[in-house]
Amino acid sequence: MSLVGNEGDITRYRLVVVGDGGVGKSAITIQYFQKLFVTNYDPTIEDSYIQHAVIDGELCILDVLDTAGQEEYSAMREQYMRSGDGFLIVYSVTDTQSFAHVIDFYNQVLRVQDAESFPVLLVANKVDLLHSRKISEEKGKEIASQLGVEYIETSAKEPPLNIDTAFHQIVRIIRSHPVTRGIQQRQRQQHRHRQKFRNMLRCVLS
Amino acid sequence: MKREEIIRKFSEIPDGINIVHGHWHILISPPLTLWKISFFDYPENYCREFIVIDLRMRFPFFGEEFEFEVPRKFRYLSVYVYDRDRPNKNDRVLGKVAIKREDLHAFHNKDHWFPIRPITLDSEVQGKIHLNVNFDRNRIDDCGECLRVEIFEACDLTMVNTSCDPFVEVTVKFTNGKQETHRTKVKKKTNCPTFSEEFIFSLQRENDKHFRMNPADEVEWSELLVTMYHEVSSNNVVFIGEVKISLLGPQQQIHAATNAWYYLQPRKKRVTLRAPVSTLSSAVMDENCIGTLRLKIQYFVDHILSSDKYFNFRDLILRSPNVQPITSSAVYLLGEIIPCKADVAHCLVRVLLQHNQFVSTIRSLAVWEISKVTDTNTIFRGNTLVSKLMDDAMRFVGHQYLHETLRPSIERIVTEHKPCEIDPSRVKDKAVIHQNLCNLKSYVEDIFKAITSSALHCPSVMCQLFHDLKEIAICIFPDNKEIRYSVISGFIFLRFFAPAILGPKLFGLTTEQIDTQTHRTLTLISKTIQSLGNVVCAKTQSCKEEYMSSMYQTFYNETHVTAVRQFLEIISATSVPVHSKSDKPVTLKEGILIKRTQNTSRFRKNRFKQRYFKITTESLSYSKHKGKETICQIPLKDILSVERVTYESFKRSNMLQVIQPAKVLYIQANNCVEEKEWLDLLTRMCSSSDRHVAFYHPGAFIKGMWICCKARFQQSMGCERVTRKSNGIHNSDIDIDRELSRLHTLTFNHMDKIENVLHACKCQAAYTKEKHLLPTSVIEDCTSMMTTLHSLRTSSYALEQEQRTVLRTIARETKYGSKQAPIGDDNYLLMAGRLETVTLRKQF
Repeated sequence: MSLVGNEGDITRYRLVVVGDGGVGKSAITIQYFQKLFVTNYDPTIEDSYIQHAVIDGELCILDVLDTAGQEEYSAMREQYMRSGDGFLIVYSVTDTQSFAHVIDFYNQVLRVQDAESFPVLLVANKVDLLHSRKISEEKGKEIASQLGVEYIETSAKEPPLNIDTAFHQIVRIIRSHPVTRGIQQRQRQQHRHRQKFRNMLRCVLS
Repeated sequence: MKREEIIRKFSEIPDGINIVHGHWHILISPPLTLWKISFFDYPENYCREFIVIDLRMRFPFFGEEFEFEVPRKFRYLSVYVYDRDRPNKNDRVLGKVAIKREDLHAFHNKDHWFPIRPITLDSEVQGKIHLNVNFDRNRIDDCGECLRVEIFEACDLTMVNTSCDPFVEVTVKFTNGKQETHRTKVKKKTNCPTFSEEFIFSLQRENDKHFRMNPADEVEWSELLVTMYHEVSSNNVVFIGEVKISLLGPQQQIHAATNAWYYLQPRKKRVTLRAPVSTLSSAVMDENCIGTLRLKIQYFVDHILSSDKYFNFRDLILRSPNVQPITSSAVYLLGEIIPCKADVAHCLVRVLLQHNQFVSTIRSLAVWEISKVTDTNTIFRGNTLVSKLMDDAMRFVGHQYLHETLRPSIERIVTEHKPCEIDPSRVKDKAVIHQNLCNLKSYVEDIFKAITSSALHCPSVMCQLFHDLKEIAICIFPDNKEIRYSVISGFIFLRFFAPAILGPKLFGLTTEQIDTQTHRTLTLISKTIQSLGNVVCAKTQSCKEEYMSSMYQTFYNETHVTAVRQFLEIISATSVPVHSKSDKPVTLKEGILIKRTQNTSRFRKNRFKQRYFKITTESLSYSKHKGKETICQIPLKDILSVERVTYESFKRSNMLQVIQPAKVLYIQANNCVEEKEWLDLLTRMCSSSDRHVAFYHPGAFIKGMWICCKARFQQSMGCERVTRKSNGIHNSDIDIDRELSRLHTLTFNHMDKIENVLHACKCQAAYTKEKHLLPTSVIEDCTSMMTTLHSLRTSSYALEQEQRTVLRTIARETKYGSKQAPIGDDNYLLMAGRLETVTLRKQF
């Protein structure tokens, strides 16, 4: 069950970075965790990073999963989408295709989580590349409001822009998001079904 | 082509069902450990089973994909949920999801939550029955009527514990509550019984006309009930289906009095499947269900016309590589218009490969895509048409290559099952990391060797593609030294080997269940291999996760880098390497079949035995169980032909005969889908041998006589000509017309998009200054683009017209109540209805 887990008193947030190939998911993640910008491009299959962080005065553990963007790996997507507490959907402002796929990612998150809304942050990356920018801020904000998610512009290249903010913001979104009710309801339903099943078994056995 | 032939081709092609990412969540969590799911559809209990996860999870997650072809005449697609009691290996069915064939369209390519319902006798009803009902009014003067019910035959009945001894009970109910029942003889051991019995029911009206004043007292026919039972023992019968025909009033009676086939129905009210649920919460509300299952189903029905009808459409696609600019070509436009690029790529790859246009098409498209690239780092890393086409082509052409290369290593990893976790945050005891690292290194080394030494086996089409891509990239970015490698490694490693290692089941590399630990091992291997493939183009060392650094240190050395470099150079060499046959035979298919003993002794009791069959590139062999020593091996060159065997021969369906020079091996597949797969594969594999026979016996030699032609001499020549595949060996697995028909359907379904682009073109042509762009498409040259779009539209409409004409003919020729369309078959009504109402929007 994907739940914000507690380890002692520290809350653990499982964040998943998704988006098309080559949009800079790993660059953002590595910039946040290791404070450096990777120049060479090594496509990711699945990397995970863990770190303590203090957000709004509260200590927590960030468990971030960096994923593959190529569609060849889409069969694996559902697996990690189930375990995420919050998602960063990344696109590159220089790549129209990656922008077009944002909606697909968002819909898949909702479907897998079976929720009407879920903590998601839309990240417009590579904003430092002013000359080759194809997706304007207005367009990005428009789609964000259409999906009902927050929007942020980032750049992983030195000097980094909004990288820490993005990760902290998604944690704030998770904290303020009313998910607990849905999960409780689901557990109650499960209990009911289990009861029903046991009764059935009893009938069969007796 | 004559019309009959067209229709024949039309109905022979099976439907394709593709259950993609069968991700399902089951709400119940019984205290048991394993789940198993099987698919089942009606005509012949086709099952494909798989065991899924361990874990006492409340939301088990399967993430499996299945693709299979099924005969068109099925009623339901059912997914059975089992649970496995591990020590005893006893599987108990929990419930099933049943989806009617006519409802499948509604779920195409969508995720849905389906309720799992318990299995009862009524949920398992299948088959149909042939009845003749008529009224005989003139027999007994005025005061009575006779009802004749003839029971001819039935077919495809449910098997109860693999046996079926059916009989029919005919009941007539009257309006006064009385009823009269007759039953037929029991037919032993058949699920296609022939009864040919007639029953007469008579209605005695009161002779005295004075009493007929009150209409309430009058006795009339009320209902005819034909029930099928299976006789377990003389006093124990099991219900297997019924047909209810209302006889109230003259209107209904006229309707009932026919000679027709009926679908057997369950008792009581039919389970409504009409209200599908899309979310988990609404599925839970269903009272009857014991859980829910999320499935994504792709259901294809291909209506294929004769080849000449596709000429224009095909021509348009094949001309693509020569169209300038490439953005005006049909291939590019189809990729833009149809949202799901994977679907388009699938068809295009096969059509273009068949006509040797694939390499040139990729070349033209790649030139355009590379010229748009600003950052050489991310060349071909997004999801574009070229990457999709390449991906599909590599999987299709390189299927055998992939198996030859990776199968032994993957099998080793799955069977050895050694822990390889090296992330300190994921292990309890830090001491095991050292051992795990050793395990992982040995696996990676194994796979790395397998890949880098496989260069000479790489299919020539792939080599040609890599060669072209490399040339284009070097030509456009002459200063970039790494690009000659990165462009190829981005395909062969990132999109071919690494995904296959990560998900070997999806690529058919293993049939074993992948558990969490193995999955993690494969992930780590896949990561390392991908990084290694990328190392030749990396400027600096990768510095991602810390714990992986010890892995990289071992492998980032001169020997490995040179090996990768050599490998990439060879597979993209100008001169195409000679494809040398590998020494080891490759397993193509294996599984359990039932074989008839080849021993001709008459005193053997059980002549049919289960064996584990295996077909490799060299021979067909079988053993007692999986992994046991081979009992018999037939070299492929000794197989003269493979044919079906008639049902009458052994009273068994799905029988195949493998004709060898001196004898015949009879094998039985579990179901029609398996049968077709084995038949196709065997035919394809043995068609390369130079020995053939011209005639064969469709029946068997039983009790001194050939069943089929009644010849008494066992060595007598066959009575029927063997079926031959007209296509060559190499391309027999591509049905080009089928791909074109799918492509046409896709195009036709997105006609509105074509209209949109056309409109945009017109606008841009009129006001040259004003940019009128669609979100992703680029209009480079209006005139040529419009020409292509117009031709696409025209040929698509023409094909649709043709298809509807044939469908209408079929609908007209099929009678409701015939064996093909029994009464109770909603599909027929649906098809007929749809054809009447739909007319083409535009005529060209």
